[in-house]
Amino acid sequence: MKRFINDVKKYKNYIIYATKAELKTEVINSYLGWLWMILEPLAFMLIYMFIAVIVFKSKVQYFPIFVFIGLTVWNFFNKMVTSSVKLVATNRDTVTKVYLPKFVLLFVKMGVNLFKMFVSFILVGIFMIVYKVPVTWNILWFFPIILTAIVVTFGVCTIILHLGVFAEDLNNLVNIALRMVFYMTGIFYDLASRITNPVYRTILLDLNPIANVIFNLRNILIYSAPPVGLWTVIWFFIGLFLSAIGIKTIYKYENTYVKVMK
Amino acid sequence: MKNREIAISVNDLHVYYRDMKRFSLKKGGLKDKGSGKIFKAVKGVTFEVPKGQILGICGKNGSGKSTLLRAISGIFSPDKGSINLHGNSISLLSIGVGFQKQLTGYENIYLSGMLLGYNKAQIDEKVDEIIEFSELGEFIYRPVRSYSSGMYSKLAFSITAILETDIMLIDEVLSVGDVHFKEKSYNKMKELISDSNRTVVIVSHSTNTIVDLCDKVIWLHEGLIKDEGDPAKIMAKYEEFMRENA
Repeated sequence: MKRFINDVKKYKNYIIYATKAELKTEVINSYLGWLWMILEPLAFMLIYMFIAVIVFKSKVQYFPIFVFIGLTVWNFFNKMVTSSVKLVATNRDTVTKVYLPKFVLLFVKMGVNLFKMFVSFILVGIFMIVYKVPVTWNILWFFPIILTAIVVTFGVCTIILHLGVFAEDLNNLVNIALRMVFYMTGIFYDLASRITNPVYRTILLDLNPIANVIFNLRNILIYSAPPVGLWTVIWFFIGLFLSAIGIKTIYKYENTYVKVMK
Repeated sequence: MKNREIAISVNDLHVYYRDMKRFSLKKGGLKDKGSGKIFKAVKGVTFEVPKGQILGICGKNGSGKSTLLRAISGIFSPDKGSINLHGNSISLLSIGVGFQKQLTGYENIYLSGMLLGYNKAQIDEKVDEIIEFSELGEFIYRPVRSYSSGMYSKLAFSITAILETDIMLIDEVLSVGDVHFKEKSYNKMKELISDSNRTVVIVSHSTNTIVDLCDKVIWLHEGLIKDEGDPAKIMAKYEEFMRENA
């Protein structure tokens, strides 16, 4: 734990600089640059709106914002997990030449995707103004809830990063799992009102941290309701626990990662 | 050179490569990862480097030289034995430090520098010197992926040579770039080495380099120290040995 804090301090400059640099390259390499950060979630929102409103005749209030909140959190989680699988391999040039704690790579990715999520949430804010969503003090819950999402994502990613070094086809497995979780998370439909069976409801809404976070965010941001926080708190601690295990595992094995990659 | 404080202590160092190929889930699952053959690259090497010494390491291909360097720099963990750097900062200078290919050379100077533990202000001070030494000119503001291999190595060399650390590990880097740059980097090397506070470990096949630069040489053979001592004597033995076994 002490070592972790020291390393974070030591590599703080690198993490910040590398995050900025990575964001910049993504922009340099495409014609529309920064716009993609807004265009991508917008385009997906339109697709899901088409499916949900026209095909399934969904009648959720403030539907575009509803979808957008879901997508914002989901994209963060999805991109983090997907890139963690091959994170050590994609950074092999650096990793084979100099020692750095491998979770530093994860922090850089975190920075990049947090920034994107931040931009996306600004868009949510703009939508809320445009649709004249009534705002209550409940929106202050935003911070603890999003923190939970970040901690859980980090915890999951540390473990995926470790396993990804050794397991070649973890990538395929992760893709399937992510797709499954995506449909079960209720990005473009309302889990709470669609699923009436209480057992399934608990499984889908409480035992899936991402669904839980999205459900609560929607409540506090657009439906003027307080969060149902018990599971969010539980997930926060599970997230911390996973992170601790993940970091410990990475510290223990990180010097063998390079040997495996040869 | 005697009676100086010690900069690097390597004690009974073993580094193994387990045949930990990346397994596929189909082939065996998670339990399988420790099994497989063990290849012993370094098997019980002990030596000390006093501060300010320039140590050469020679040996044929596959004798464990690079593995040894990587273990000292902290990229590999020892499977047995220990390495103590006594709190010195260290950098491994090898052909092609890890660059982010999409980024410009300029940004990569900062990234590499920060990886070596410098902060932004310290790099700001050195950045012009690095650019000048690398002779890249305007290319420094282009992405590294557009560099030729020579330019790539020149930049790599310049960064590690100018951002100095207490201990420098050099892996056959003296053959960087064209004749002109080779000479220049060789001279820079000599200049760096002449600083009596700096400890240097050089891995090289070149007898000239080792005899010219080093105070002492270690001859590695199949993961063990075969001989060590005065560069001229050892290198003569080494060359003879290599000719006989060629």
